Amino acid sequence: MILEVKNLVKHYPLTSRGVFLKKEVGVVHAVDGVSFSVRKSETFGLVGESGCGKTSTARAVLYLDPPTSGEIYFEGQEIGRIFKSKNQQEILKLRRKMQYVFQNPYASLDPRMTVADIIMEPFVIHKHVPKEKWHARLYELLELVGLEDYHAERYPHEFSGGQRQRICIARALAVEPRLLIADEPVASLDVSVRAQILNLMQELQQKFGIAYLYISHDLSTVRHICHRVAVMYLGKFVEIAETSELFSSPLHPYTQALLSAIPVPDPENKRSRIVLPGEVPSPINPPKGCRFHPRCIYAKEYNCIENVPELVDVGNGHWVACNKVSG
Amino acid sequence: MADVMKEKLLETPEKRRTDGVSQWSIAWRRFKKNKAALAGLIIVGVIIFIAIFSPIIARYPLNYLASFNEEGKIRVPPSSKYWFGTDYIGRDVFSQIVYGAGNVLYVGFGAAAIAMSLAIVIGITSGYLDGLVDNILMRITEIFLVIPFLLILLVFLRVAMTIAPSGVGGLTTVTLIIGLFSWAPNARIIRGEVLRVKQNEYIEAAVALGASKWRIMFRHVLPNVLHVIIVLTTLQIATAILVEAGVSFLGFGDPNSVTWGQQLQGASEAVKEAWWEGIFPGMFITLLVLGFNLLGNGLRDALDPRLRE
Repeated sequence: MILEVKNLVKHYPLTSRGVFLKKEVGVVHAVDGVSFSVRKSETFGLVGESGCGKTSTARAVLYLDPPTSGEIYFEGQEIGRIFKSKNQQEILKLRRKMQYVFQNPYASLDPRMTVADIIMEPFVIHKHVPKEKWHARLYELLELVGLEDYHAERYPHEFSGGQRQRICIARALAVEPRLLIADEPVASLDVSVRAQILNLMQELQQKFGIAYLYISHDLSTVRHICHRVAVMYLGKFVEIAETSELFSSPLHPYTQALLSAIPVPDPENKRSRIVLPGEVPSPINPPKGCRFHPRCIYAKEYNCIENVPELVDVGNGHWVACNKVSG
Repeated sequence: MADVMKEKLLETPEKRRTDGVSQWSIAWRRFKKNKAALAGLIIVGVIIFIAIFSPIIARYPLNYLASFNEEGKIRVPPSSKYWFGTDYIGRDVFSQIVYGAGNVLYVGFGAAAIAMSLAIVIGITSGYLDGLVDNILMRITEIFLVIPFLLILLVFLRVAMTIAPSGVGGLTTVTLIIGLFSWAPNARIIRGEVLRVKQNEYIEAAVALGASKWRIMFRHVLPNVLHVIIVLTTLQIATAILVEAGVSFLGFGDPNSVTWGQQLQGASEAVKEAWWEGIFPGMFITLLVLGFNLLGNGLRDALDPRLRE
């Protein structure tokens, strides 16, 4: 296990401006008790609709937004304790092991810095590469992500979206991380470029054994790259399984509906699409019982308005949180 | 083969530098196309030139009572001998304008430097560290925004001039006080810009990399708000020049320094009889302020990151 998350909760306070201090008027339940683990050299997928808490989970794991409660273990160390200790050296060590690739490559590169400065900044911060080797390492990284040497002196605005995402990956790799959190890394890219970036990520994983936490709402890319997948709905996990298992035999009604929405490139194939009634409820006031119950056809039958389903193992590392499955 | 070539390339890093076009060079390209901005640059350039070479350009020594000493007359109208006429004690208006240029620019640049340094430090810390620090700094800024600027300026100048009688760096006192009282609006604008820049993912990326707060503030936030700071600085110079002229005209400036505002004050007694005494210094004030404003607007257009060629 490289990353273990136990009962992670992230609540954002809703505030209104007071005279001096902000008043709390409500709470957004972005993430409400999720547990999962990522193994070494594994790609763990996190799927769900926009606003279901995927990004909040990732940001909490990286301590960009400290979690409200829950424990996060990275290589056996509880990272909350390290970040709270304010021990800069330990924090830096931890930062080096986990990196983030953002959704929007147009906003995640400093427009005033050259590519060389951007990729070498980690060397300045972590001092893990001797100064005389900086440039050699820079060109190595550029080659690794499929960029040319002469790109080093250019500025981010001179690159396409796909190239920028390569620069972001190079910057993340510069610290030689053990875990890379990729938050919709291809969502804002052209379809033709997506496959290139995903293949690059797979190549890098084979070469360096990096584990990925891959966040996406795009099920086809998840199927392509992930070993295991967790499906998230309104701040909670509804199902975790091996990718092939999840796609062949989804158990949760929400997962089933999601999978039925994947377009199939075959006009003859008349698939039966499950259309969910209603919309995702607000995370400010999440439904009681099973969070999915207002949109679920089985809700009445299993009294899901009151019974909160727990994640249960149904064998083969397949976990589901549904009253219908657990009875 | 490829490896050998690469090693060779690595040995000569200067040669490897290819045409990375920075945002600054794009801005300069855009600035050059803007006629009004170039005009502003030229006006400011010419006046700086006059200030530097004032002893050569001026036709009479500093404060020399030219027409009084030579003809026993004051307020002589413009002629080939006195291009812009002479003033109430017979000094050559043109020469005094030339000598005043340096003082006017000194006040402008000096006050802007003080005001902008304060504005940058307060704007960036307040924008980047929110919460209590932001709250306290912004309330202080608001106090400075609501006090009547000119009134407080006059009071402070009068007090300062009484404590340290004129002659002892009078102009520096004026500069200092203008600077200390005009940072507030700039600080607010810079803070707003920092709040915008802070939202960008590259700031988060730097946090995730483990960059320190100081590093983020000065290596990532500052360069990305620099274009706003540059524009505000040029406009602040113009404002400071105007304020000094106003203060001097009201008789609160440093009476021992030649500035265009002081010249205006001398002229105010006889506007009808000796129009030349006030018109020419006034024209120079207008021209210089216009120049800085054109320059500032041109820079703003050129440096706006939202604009593309």
